[in-house]
Amino acid sequence: MPLAEAVAVGQELPSLSKELSQRRIDVFSGVRPRSIHTDEEWARQKGFRTTLAQGMMSTAYVSELMTRLLGAGFLKGGTLSMAFIKPVYAGDRLTVHGVVKETRPEGVGTRVVVEVWCQNQHGEKTAVGTASGLTA
Amino acid sequence: MTEFPKLTYEALTVGEEFVSDTHLVTPEDIEAYAFAVDDHHPWFSEPSPFGGPVAHPTLMANQALSLRHSKYIVHAGLHAKMEFNFLEPVRPGMRVRSRGRVIDKYERRGRQYMVTEYVTEDETGAPLVRGQFTQMLIPEGTRHAAR
Repeated sequence: MPLAEAVAVGQELPSLSKELSQRRIDVFSGVRPRSIHTDEEWARQKGFRTTLAQGMMSTAYVSELMTRLLGAGFLKGGTLSMAFIKPVYAGDRLTVHGVVKETRPEGVGTRVVVEVWCQNQHGEKTAVGTASGLTA
Repeated sequence: MTEFPKLTYEALTVGEEFVSDTHLVTPEDIEAYAFAVDDHHPWFSEPSPFGGPVAHPTLMANQALSLRHSKYIVHAGLHAKMEFNFLEPVRPGMRVRSRGRVIDKYERRGRQYMVTEYVTEDETGAPLVRGQFTQMLIPEGTRHAAR
């Protein structure tokens, strides 16, 4: 079945689960002193309980969700807009969610618009937004 | 010789521009990023619909996000919003750089923000990713009260 026909408004995408270890944060952000991402003492001085993951890690997770759905149509022609609404700390576990909210013709294909969000292990939303991409 | 003043809300000017250094995208960059975000899509190391391997779409986003570090010493900050338009995949072997321009700054609920529009382009100047981001400034001598 063509992808455009397989995607329906209201469809919930398979969620992703991500463990945010300090090691992964270190590789993502690069280790340096006086960084709220990799220097725990500095993060505490700045008012956080420990180091934080960059918000950009959540955009990467949503990109994975969308690439699994649309493949090349997200890598070329995709969009992503997110707001980071709650800190994500080292040691947190995020689940990444998406629900199709619109499909519309664009060029020779269809643009699929997905409401996306990340949620921590306490059930709190940490990032919310919208992503879209094209079916072939 | 470049001088690096401290970034303050007052020093920041709407309309000022930033440019990064050029970065050669290597297979190791792509592999490290795949580890960091725990996403090992086969297109990152094997042929993709675009020919050879491609990078994770957000691989170069930190280059854009760090643009202000090319002119300022940044005490601390938080990323508030991010927008991407993925125009062409980033591929290993490309030499990419990002350009940015401050399009707004504002204060809300006692916090200071800057908004930057950016483009990441290849060595020919062809755009790969466009977008904009909003960053909160955490002034020196202050603490951020996480909400």
